Amino acid sequence: MEKTCYRFFGGFLSAQEKWLNKMAGEGYRLAHVGKLAYKFETYGSGKVQYRVEFIGAKPKEDAEEYYGFLESFGYRVFYKNINLNASLGKIRWRPWAGKGGKIASNATTYNRELLIVEKADNGKPFELHTTYEDKQGYYKALGKPYLSLALMSAALGISMQAWAFCIFSACSLIPFGAYQAELFRLKKQSREKEW
Amino acid sequence: MRDYVKGGALTEVTFYILLSLYTPKHGYAAMQFIEEKTGGRLSLGAGTLYGALHSLQEKGWIEPSGSSKGRKKEYAITAKGKSIAEQELRRLEELASIANGIMGKE
Repeated sequence: MEKTCYRFFGGFLSAQEKWLNKMAGEGYRLAHVGKLAYKFETYGSGKVQYRVEFIGAKPKEDAEEYYGFLESFGYRVFYKNINLNASLGKIRWRPWAGKGGKIASNATTYNRELLIVEKADNGKPFELHTTYEDKQGYYKALGKPYLSLALMSAALGISMQAWAFCIFSACSLIPFGAYQAELFRLKKQSREKEW
Repeated sequence: MRDYVKGGALTEVTFYILLSLYTPKHGYAAMQFIEEKTGGRLSLGAGTLYGALHSLQEKGWIEPSGSSKGRKKEYAITAKGKSIAEQELRRLEELASIANGIMGKE
């Protein structure tokens, strides 16, 4: 039996992850992902686990290699969009991305900013990032897009005297702050423990 | 990776990855090797392992191994990597012998 749900989580990665794991607990497994649609098929309850990972800062080759690397672990992997945009022939500037990933287009990682990773539940916790150092790098990459969004819209807002941009700028600082807090927590932990 | 920044010690993750690649392996096999050898104590996430393999390759301590293609890329330790691992073993032996001396175990 199939079931289709429509959801949009945007940048709320952990909410998306939680929901997918809830669906897995109810006996559904992801069959196909669209921009808004999630197609599920019935599957034994709690047989799979999900993680959602941000890969928008990786250049195309790196993102594809990572995708293949995860598949070689026996995981099922899906690309997922983080935004809702019409996206034919679109080109995006990502000042926060790594070398080689600064210009994103439909042919590269545009609308493929997230990975949904599914692992058969074997009773062990499912984590993609396990050392403090690696986790810190991951949260840094997560926060950067919001910081540059905030800075750019603040610059626009101030130069055009437009309040809307200033409010938007302040809003995009919220997720950045949340990721910075997580980063700070990890740094504190890593001082007490090696990983 | 912060290896060699503080006091010349490798991180445990790095040392185990180097040890696992004395015979060429792809990522998943390296992860299984480490989990098995440590009895499940050290379990690496795929994302962390991916980053570590890249950074070790940049350092020239490991390299992609000949026969592998595409999805299942195999890695093997290099001569440089081996000398680093041997140095680490000597450091650990020295540490263990000092610790045994102080803690009174013959």
